[in-house]
Amino acid sequence: MVGRKSLDALIRLYALQNVLLALLAFVLAEGERHFVLAGLALLLLKGVLIPRYLFWLLERLGVSHEVESYLSIPLSLLLGGVLVGVGFHVGSSFVLEGARLPEAVPVALGLILLGMLSMVSRKKAITQVLGFLALENGVFLLALAETHGLPLFIELGVALDAFAAVVLAGVLIFRIRTTFNHIDTARMRDLKG
Amino acid sequence: MTMLYLLLLLPLLPALHALREHEAGRLASSTAAGALLSLGLSLLAQNQAAGPLRLDGVGLFYLLLTDLLFALVALYARAYFQAGKDRESWRFYAAGNLFLFAMHGAYLAHNLGLLWIFVEGSTLASALLVYHKGGARALEATWKYLMLGSVGIALGLIGVILVYALLGGATLDWQEARALVRGADPAQLKLAFAFLLVGFGTKVGLFPLHAWLPDAHSEAPSPASALLSGTLLNVAFYALLRYAALLGSAGLFDFAAGLLQGFGLASLLAAGLFLFVQRDYKRLLAYSSMEHMGLAVYGLGLGVPWLAMLHTLFHSLAKTAAFLSAGNLLLTYQSKLIARVGAVHQVWPATAGLLVLSLLTLAGLPPFGLFYTEFQALLRSSPLLMGLYLLGLLGAFAGLLWPLSRMVFGEGHGVGLGAPPRARTLVVVPAVLVVLALVLGLFPPVGVVERLAEVLSWKL
Repeated sequence: MVGRKSLDALIRLYALQNVLLALLAFVLAEGERHFVLAGLALLLLKGVLIPRYLFWLLERLGVSHEVESYLSIPLSLLLGGVLVGVGFHVGSSFVLEGARLPEAVPVALGLILLGMLSMVSRKKAITQVLGFLALENGVFLLALAETHGLPLFIELGVALDAFAAVVLAGVLIFRIRTTFNHIDTARMRDLKG
Repeated sequence: MTMLYLLLLLPLLPALHALREHEAGRLASSTAAGALLSLGLSLLAQNQAAGPLRLDGVGLFYLLLTDLLFALVALYARAYFQAGKDRESWRFYAAGNLFLFAMHGAYLAHNLGLLWIFVEGSTLASALLVYHKGGARALEATWKYLMLGSVGIALGLIGVILVYALLGGATLDWQEARALVRGADPAQLKLAFAFLLVGFGTKVGLFPLHAWLPDAHSEAPSPASALLSGTLLNVAFYALLRYAALLGSAGLFDFAAGLLQGFGLASLLAAGLFLFVQRDYKRLLAYSSMEHMGLAVYGLGLGVPWLAMLHTLFHSLAKTAAFLSAGNLLLTYQSKLIARVGAVHQVWPATAGLLVLSLLTLAGLPPFGLFYTEFQALLRSSPLLMGLYLLGLLGAFAGLLWPLSRMVFGEGHGVGLGAPPRARTLVVVPAVLVVLALVLGLFPPVGVVERLAEVLSWKL
């Protein structure tokens, strides 16, 4: 995720991640209905709708599909590796008693940290959105690993918030494109102090 | 029962109205009517419960404050947008009512997960308020706000999940959680609280997570800035109130107190410094909000929730009045720079008076309400913190009043200014707020707020 150069690949990777997460929810379900429903909603919303929206956005924007970063690829990979290491290192203190899937906790933390890395190191507004989505998935994984999943209506509310945030961000990106003629947040620095 | 759901959904009606009707006058009426109706309904609905919703004392306190401010700002906004020849004021009313819906949800929710959802919802709706008609600077501010706010609140969600897991996945209901939380592992509960503090603290504007706050407040249209400062910051603070009480029930309040006092004082001191370098009067007011939210968080850290609540009440009233007066300045001078504003007392005496009164309140001078709460907090502090606290207050005092005196009494830059707008609402609305702040400051409703805050108490 931190090493790819093409935005299309990143979005496909994100969709794949969601399919895997949904599968995990199904496996953990053991016949509990709300797990299945949460998994389905996830699959539909994050596995299909959000990636399609992002592809459509990328198409309409007419900007290069290349990820521009402040960091070189080797450096981002190195940093990503370090962060995942940190996730695994502190992971054990995050595992609570009665966690359902303790092994997944460090993975979730690693994903959260990687999401943050891509948010701060990328220049294009749309890559920051992808970073946020990865972070959000990390939080979802954490919920699956630590508990029996949040109550269904909470889970749906959270997913809906994320979806609304992405749509709003998409609209803003359009406006950024028409106002500045680029979507490079590094060059938006009028406001200071 | 059904009353709570009615209360929750009521703001959606004017929001829908705003999508169809683009005439500011009618929108202002329907919005203000909706807010005032909710005000009455919420008084009737106290202590009712329905599903995940319940309206207890603290929720009622903030719900009343929010609805009152919202109704007043809606009336002001009509005159403001008309004077500014802004034909797109319906955007403000649509986003504003959506925002009010999220606020209602947050104050009615008794489920910690639902509270999180509505707090995040209020971030999204207020991003629309900040954006309004766009432009390069507004875009930058909105983008920053959306990204920082979302990441912050996602970290808060980690805290919510950890709390849920610590309760054994049994419940997210606040009352039940407080009964169960005693059995939770203290070290892990502390970890969860740290996440919650960072998450909601980003929205409260605690240092060093405040970067979005001055940008969003200064680039939003003035009525929206008033809503952000007077109501949005409170909703995140309200979440902190709930979680501090949760930690209190677990017997870990000392840990929470340390963090809250530390972050509160740091915000106070940082805001005090930032005030001195501001050249834009709306940013000045934004940093003053950061200062006062720091003070409220500090007050909560002292273990006196009612004092913190009272502080946010006075701050909301005074700061809303201040931002609305700043809106009048912007209409008159067409600039947000302090240096471009002068001799307000000659150009528009009423606005000058309002500005002076609201900023004196915010600077914490007696006999205004914020003096009372700041003094009470001071009495409860330990000597070392007392020194830092006074230092911060002094800095904020000077940093706020020096630019004020320059703007109001400084030399005029009246060249090329037209006559100031003469709509009476532009003066009446902030005047109502100032009078309210003054009266409540002279007779602080301590007993009432203490009673409303009782539900938070964790001392056995």
